[in-house]
Amino acid sequence: MATCIITGVGSGIGKATAIMLSHRGYYDHYALIGRNAADMAATAAAMSCNIPAAAIHTYNLDLSAPEGIPEVVASIVATTGSIDALLNIAGYTDPQPLLTTSLESFELTYRVNVYAPFMLMRECVKYMKTSGGKILNVASTAGMTPRPGWLSYASSKAALISISETLTAELSEYGIMVYCVSPGRCATKLRRRLAPDEDPSTIMQPEEVAEVICNLINPAEKCLDGQNIVIRKMINR
Amino acid sequence: MFTLLFLSGGTGSRMLNAVPKQYMLLAGKPVVMHILERVDQLPEIAEVVMVCAKEYEPAIALMLNQYGVRTPVRFAPAGSTRQESVRNGLAMVATDNVIVHEAARPFVKVEDFQRLMEANEPNAMLGEAIPFSVLVGHEYVEGALERSSLVNVQLPQKFQTQLLREVHEKAMADGATFTEDAAMLHKYHPEVPIKICPGMPYNLKLTTRIDMLVGEQIYDEVFRKRK
Repeated sequence: MATCIITGVGSGIGKATAIMLSHRGYYDHYALIGRNAADMAATAAAMSCNIPAAAIHTYNLDLSAPEGIPEVVASIVATTGSIDALLNIAGYTDPQPLLTTSLESFELTYRVNVYAPFMLMRECVKYMKTSGGKILNVASTAGMTPRPGWLSYASSKAALISISETLTAELSEYGIMVYCVSPGRCATKLRRRLAPDEDPSTIMQPEEVAEVICNLINPAEKCLDGQNIVIRKMINR
Repeated sequence: MFTLLFLSGGTGSRMLNAVPKQYMLLAGKPVVMHILERVDQLPEIAEVVMVCAKEYEPAIALMLNQYGVRTPVRFAPAGSTRQESVRNGLAMVATDNVIVHEAARPFVKVEDFQRLMEANEPNAMLGEAIPFSVLVGHEYVEGALERSSLVNVQLPQKFQTQLLREVHEKAMADGATFTEDAAMLHKYHPEVPIKICPGMPYNLKLTTRIDMLVGEQIYDEVFRKRK
């Protein structure tokens, strides 16, 4: 019974991906990890229109405390029997320039955007390495070019891109494929913090990013891992 | 069922490194873990008896946990010679059949272990033809060997546990030294057939520093699945 773990399912790209995956039938079980139980329940309810509710498992965990991840992963394996895909979609931002960035803010950003994916990958690989599987990390175009004023967020996404490339090579022997996508401007809550004055209807929508993620996480996809895949939309001006 | 008698007691003196070669990183992973991870995929191997220096046991135990190795592993003390290390390990083997392997040979696939275990003799080894000419001599040539009759010995090897214990006891009583176990078994029991299964060209034994560089290439070519 194949299992897919998804973080960041409360809203935005994570929510859109979870619902879209429930249409695709690639996996038998979906383990949703998040800190807002009500938002997760709403996503699970939307998914259950397409798959049995018993195939959806929710785990309440604030990813800013990644120390709890080993226990959650062990619990998922105990419930579903395997881990076959991991989608690290949750993200956090507190956009500040260097001189106003506190250590606490910097660390919180890294905890959610870097430490939590690292811990999830480490713990999941312990189970995935005998059967292979897929890992997908959602980074950002902000991790690819200088973004003054977004120090902690941009650098954390650069770290996630690098981690993805390193692990592509390191986990290859196990048959584990590591994907990295870097969306550009996408109409999410996080984007609203980065660009509060932007009209979200004029930029890429979460469902459009989810479509790409679902195509990559399709077990039949075998060629696009190991590279930072930029997702940008052609818009009408 | 088999026990893997895994020799990891080397000091790495020829590697000129403070850390023995079996604990150095190869393709980003401790050399010793390459084999332990693959053996973990073989249900026919009930247990690993790992022969190593006492001071490395905690580090190995930690790695086994970090890499999620589920096959039970017990430790046996390294001896002052390879032969003594094998004897120490054999004392702890609980299955009728044993596979002897060494940590310095990390390039053995799961299928290679399976092929050895499935060989139609209870005692078997991996061997390759020698592709170069071999002469006898030291300062002057004293003779030639017929290379077509020679075999380059590779590990792993498999044996009947009790039979291997018996010949080790005899060798100890005789004060005889052997560099590997097939030769010892054949010396004391020439009537026992030892099957030679085809070895692998990639089954390099890491001995010197340059072997680590070559090993990275072998890993890329043979074990990394992403091409």
